[in-house]
Amino acid sequence: MNIIEIKNLSHRFADSTLGLENINLTIREGTFVIIAGQNGSGKTTLLKHLNGLLLPTAGTIRLAGLPVSENLVKARQMVGMVFQDADSQIVGETVCDDVAFGPENLCLDRNEVKRRVFKSLKIVGLLDFEDQKPHLLSGGEKRRLAIAGILAMEPKVLVFDEPFSSLDYPGVKQILKQIVSLHRSGHTILVAAHDLEKVFAHADRLVIMKEGKVVKDGIPSQLLGELETFGIREPCASRLGVEVPSWLN
Amino acid sequence: MAELSAFNFRPGFSVLHGLDVRFKLLFLVLISVTSLKAYPVSLSVLTLVLVAALLHAQRSLKSILKSFRYVFVLLAFIFFARALSVPGSAVIEFKAVSITREGIYHGVLICWRLVIVVLTGLAFVSTTRPSEIKAAVEWLLNPFPFIPSKRIATMMSLVVRFIPVIFDQARETADAQRARGVDNRKNPVYRLKKLGIPLMRRTFEKADKLAVAMEARCYSENRTDPGLCARLRDWTALFVVICLCMFIVVW
Repeated sequence: MNIIEIKNLSHRFADSTLGLENINLTIREGTFVIIAGQNGSGKTTLLKHLNGLLLPTAGTIRLAGLPVSENLVKARQMVGMVFQDADSQIVGETVCDDVAFGPENLCLDRNEVKRRVFKSLKIVGLLDFEDQKPHLLSGGEKRRLAIAGILAMEPKVLVFDEPFSSLDYPGVKQILKQIVSLHRSGHTILVAAHDLEKVFAHADRLVIMKEGKVVKDGIPSQLLGELETFGIREPCASRLGVEVPSWLN
Repeated sequence: MAELSAFNFRPGFSVLHGLDVRFKLLFLVLISVTSLKAYPVSLSVLTLVLVAALLHAQRSLKSILKSFRYVFVLLAFIFFARALSVPGSAVIEFKAVSITREGIYHGVLICWRLVIVVLTGLAFVSTTRPSEIKAAVEWLLNPFPFIPSKRIATMMSLVVRFIPVIFDQARETADAQRARGVDNRKNPVYRLKKLGIPLMRRTFEKADKLAVAMEARCYSENRTDPGLCARLRDWTALFVVICLCMFIVVW
């Protein structure tokens, strides 16, 4: 079943520059997709259309058959988005409050909110931090908290915008492990990245964007040789002629 | 911001932790207002009660004193202002300036009362989750028809959340400018402008990102209501606090 269907999507910004041009994309439920491209290629703009943070100038986006623009709350509940800057995404004064923010916005019963907070913190391994101030968490912990905040809304699709930026090696491994485990638990995963090294081995599909257009779409291993044409660095292992290994090994 | 951390919530299982936040807020107001009318006997009793409550809430005396170090500077200023300005029998005289016995008494009394207010605030803040304080503010503002209580509560919690982030950004910007020799510029207006403008720009950018992130998590003013519930122990505590306040007023 296709969970995301994008037809003829174009987006023009207020200053009349074209952010996206005629994007056509369908994503099957449960797949792990990398959206790659240089800075300014339109990755984040595309992702923001998936939950209606940006609305198309032309074209349509459907989530499990429902048009996004007509079901904004449902779209935001179905597509959880983890932003590049975790600090700007965290709104609660404590870890627990932050995770509760989404479920409270959905007007869920107080006991259900508590259940979801507990479950999400357990999944990301932050249960011991529930009364901690988010400001005092490490970079990796902040990003895990941002993931927990999204998981508490029980989305089907998880969108990560540059999830490894400004993280150290253990932080990258923690987040990658989390993403892979969420994929294994049945979530559809979309990762926007300009550096494919860390996530390449786990993806089912690679979509390459350039100047607001989808220029390549296929199985990651088959697109390896063309990456550098689009300003994306080829993973080291591939340059040496071997299979790209997982960062989790 | 580490120096402000003593006034943060500390999880625990004390009686104070278990009380309804609305009652705790009422206790804070009652004790603070009546302590302004208190004299040494009742102030001693109040100090003992508050220190016992803080110890029961697992706050160490050392950390309390540490968190008071900036308050002590203010108290010293108030003490000397009173000691020097109240007329009476002089204890120390130097030219036209004299410290009077009555001035010392009034200075100590006012400082003691202020310590009680701060201690009560400390007991409240360190045993109450920020989300509960937000819930209490929302509950208190609810009866007023033209005040958007939910919006005010959310704004309040965002301010609490983002103050440390803004301080961090200010420190980072100041360090980056020091690394480029801003210390050599002696004009404070120039330095303030060079620190203030990028800091404000970054703060507004963060605010924009925050608004988008909140929208992505379905932010709405129609949200799950905070779970507040008054129990027998809250009413018992209210009775005890009223008795204590009456004792303060009488003595």
